[in-house]
Amino acid sequence: MCGIIGYAGFRNAQSVLIECLKRLEYRGYDSAGVGIIDKKLSVCKEVGEISNLEKNIPTMKGTMGIGHTRWATRGKVSKENAHPQVSGNKKIAIIHNGIIENFQSLKEELQQKGHKFSSQTDSEIIAHVIEEEYADTLENAVCSALKKIKGSYALAVISEQEPEKIIGARNESPLVIGVGDNENFLASDITALLNYTNRVIYLDDGEIVVMTKNSIRVIDGKKKKLTKKEKIVNWDVKDAEKSGFDHFMLKEIYDQPESIRQLLRGRISEIEEKINFPERVESILGTEYDSIHIVACGTSFYAGLVGKYLIEQLTKIPVFVELASEFRYFGIKKDTSLVVAVTQSGETADTLAALREAKSAGCKTIVITNVIGSTATRIADAYILTQSGPEIGVAATKTFTSQILTLFLLALKEASVRKTLGPDEIYHYILQLKKLPSQVRKILDNIDEITAIAKHLKDAQSVFFIGRGIYYPLSLEGALKLKEISYIHAEGFASGELKHGPFSLLTKDTPVIAIVASDETYDKMITSIGEVKAREPPVIAIADEKDSEIEKHADFVLHFPSNGLPLSGISIAVILQLLAYHVAKLRGCSIDKPRNLAKSVTVD
Amino acid sequence: MKCVILAAGEGKRMHPLTYTRPKVMLPIANKPFLEWNLLNAIDAGIKDFVFAVGYKSEMVRNYFGNGEKWNINIEYINQGKALGTAHAIGMVEKFVDDFIVLCGDTIFGKNDIKNIAQKENSMGLLEVENPDDYGIVEIKGKNVVKIYEKMDEPFSNVINAGIYHFNKKIFYYIKKTDKSPRGEYEITDSINLFVKEQTIRGIFLKEWQDAVYPWHLLDANEEILKKMKKDIQCDVEKNTTLKGTVIIGKNAKILSGSYIKGPVVIGDDCKIGPNCYVRPYTAIGNGCHIGNACEVKNSIIMNNSNVPHQNYVGDSIIGQNCNLGAGTKAANLRLDKKNIKVVLNGKKFDTKRRKLGTIAGDNVQIGINSMMDSGSIIGNDVKIGPGAMAKGEIKPKTRVL
Repeated sequence: MCGIIGYAGFRNAQSVLIECLKRLEYRGYDSAGVGIIDKKLSVCKEVGEISNLEKNIPTMKGTMGIGHTRWATRGKVSKENAHPQVSGNKKIAIIHNGIIENFQSLKEELQQKGHKFSSQTDSEIIAHVIEEEYADTLENAVCSALKKIKGSYALAVISEQEPEKIIGARNESPLVIGVGDNENFLASDITALLNYTNRVIYLDDGEIVVMTKNSIRVIDGKKKKLTKKEKIVNWDVKDAEKSGFDHFMLKEIYDQPESIRQLLRGRISEIEEKINFPERVESILGTEYDSIHIVACGTSFYAGLVGKYLIEQLTKIPVFVELASEFRYFGIKKDTSLVVAVTQSGETADTLAALREAKSAGCKTIVITNVIGSTATRIADAYILTQSGPEIGVAATKTFTSQILTLFLLALKEASVRKTLGPDEIYHYILQLKKLPSQVRKILDNIDEITAIAKHLKDAQSVFFIGRGIYYPLSLEGALKLKEISYIHAEGFASGELKHGPFSLLTKDTPVIAIVASDETYDKMITSIGEVKAREPPVIAIADEKDSEIEKHADFVLHFPSNGLPLSGISIAVILQLLAYHVAKLRGCSIDKPRNLAKSVTVD
Repeated sequence: MKCVILAAGEGKRMHPLTYTRPKVMLPIANKPFLEWNLLNAIDAGIKDFVFAVGYKSEMVRNYFGNGEKWNINIEYINQGKALGTAHAIGMVEKFVDDFIVLCGDTIFGKNDIKNIAQKENSMGLLEVENPDDYGIVEIKGKNVVKIYEKMDEPFSNVINAGIYHFNKKIFYYIKKTDKSPRGEYEITDSINLFVKEQTIRGIFLKEWQDAVYPWHLLDANEEILKKMKKDIQCDVEKNTTLKGTVIIGKNAKILSGSYIKGPVVIGDDCKIGPNCYVRPYTAIGNGCHIGNACEVKNSIIMNNSNVPHQNYVGDSIIGQNCNLGAGTKAANLRLDKKNIKVVLNGKKFDTKRRKLGTIAGDNVQIGINSMMDSGSIIGNDVKIGPGAMAKGEIKPKTRVL
């Protein structure tokens, strides 16, 4: 995720761009830059937050330009890799949010034509392709360049040859037009512009806008003019940071179709029927090791537990999931084991310590994290980014589903390397993965049942979550979400364990949430529910939408969209998050900042 | 010559009415503040306008458009961040040469606008009885020496009226202006810099109507209504009484037994009566209903609100889309006849009015036989249950049961 902004108008572009960028900082903040045309193009970039750019930027004249705040996904955090990226002739500048999939082949092609590249980003090639295509107008150059580019993008392009114009384009990354008087804007998000205008035109995928300070023309890829309606946004600036949601947590829950898509982008290849990871990860996955240790804390630990089931099932390699705070002191670190650390921030103190211990014991280490350049990425031999964008709510949501998916991809890759799965099976899983974003969207669009059940839970003293297989760690996560934001005591159990103790806590006032999968454990789960029902608590089942039997056994049922195992776990995680959120909201809790908790635990 | 009208302000002191509209769009005698200003400026001969807009600017733009309806030309400039009057005026630099500036929330007379427009580098002054809330202007002969922001003990009764005539030179001083203690760039500070090197003539105004707090709208409403002319554009049933200046819009129905004593303005598509009493200085917006056995006095009722059955509304302002339940009444006088005090934005004010009813925002729903105490401020989207008592300041979207 990155934030982009474009301005053409009468004000000093520099101050407008910087002010708007600050409002996009939630989309990324590892480096930032602006490109402004005042007859000539000048570009200024800095590593660090936008305030750092603001401090170091010289005063630039000019009333049109583009700005970018970066959350690195390809290429480390550096001044060269910050945007705007410029063309070889230094006349065209672009800013980009998204991922270019075919950048490697385009890059080689351009290098043969003599183009020299100064960054490691995939974005830089866009500027070069446009330069290569530039014959008559910037608009035509961008249109033909986009035909060559494959991937997701929100783009803004300026050229000193046509100093009045900004060209914007969108494909699977957000871009909106802010309509002003004697000025117009482009932005990743209307939030950035609310101080200047609340009139917005939403671009759709495949659309291109040609903008000057007093004209806006939207065209499609075939240069056909489109008629777009202007809408008024009635948020105030404070609402807007959360895109109109009440809390960051809810916004981040709703980000998931997008964050899942971002995660899969470039990683799964339908045509080649394979999974792609960064080279260093792939080189480790090929080596000899007889076990995998997943080390993590909190929600990441539960993602690791889900990962255990996935990896063991697909690869037959034994997996041990360890709490980082324990593993660092007591865990057995053998050099025949691969250690996979999972940490959203890449800064969790216990996880870092465990990584260091493992590394010095000679283990190969991989970290799964959301933050490029974080300490964990520097310690581990290789890292995989979840590409979820910043997560601000303390309760992890979109990063949890991204971690599970990353571990699933890792299992698939491992399985294909070890040949425990054939290409057909990999292909089958890839097809299922591609269905995920729309399935999650379906849940998010139909939350009435979830909010109704939240009302039943809000006055509970204690809530149980039960499940088998991967639904056991999901039960743990469901319980963690509920307790951390709603302050209701909640526990997750493997349903087979209930009769070994927890039953004594069960009363008719303890709601039980049972995750019921249509797999070989189905009958066992129904038996467990029966045992639970004997103590008369309300039972809420989370079950497959095709399961018509379950209504007979549970008091309430929430359905998740059918998908092959184990991917329905993602949909279930989203349901559990929404449930916890709505209970906490009904109880009036401080959802984004629960008491006593911090987002990134950087102390031991 | 262009006329710049400052219309960006949110008008927090006008809460709850400005939660849903910018201050310049507050209705006085059924037209927004800004329109009265515009009409007077048009009468003074001005044809080109620049509206500096900001807060809820789409409402201004939707209402005024490009000015075609008035046969004038309106350009809009969004102020961006609200950083003060000097900042707002600074924004128009690229769009004006010789220009006058009007504060959009004050109504100026057409002759005064003309006088200011004729004298380059001038500003409007006013002598008032109570200068506490205004900028005090020190003058020497006809020229301005210095403007002081609100003073605890004003040394003079001459205040800054909020109308100026500048040329391009002012932008040089605006750029040199520092932030004031309250954190804004004030045009008065720019003028103070200006008059050190150049001169600004002070011109005393004859007409002037501003409004700072909601209850001032009732005064402004009264002043404007006094000047209006009778105009009835709809059918009036038999057995109705219309006295004095009564203005009624299109498609309105005035039903039998209605007694309307002007000055009163009633908008389009209203249903008035049967058997109601509308008393002087009342403005009733479009699509309103004043029903049987209701009495409305010295009040502003905004569009699509109903005072339908056995209600009393006196010295009150009712926002848009409100409904009063049968029998609900607004008190407007204390038993001890003292000034009515209100709490607004958590602060207590003496309104200096002996009579003041309720000030209600938009979408307020009130059940039957409820009471609104004198000086209640009711936020938008508030619901008041049947038989409940509303008093003091009630926050938006709350319920009073």
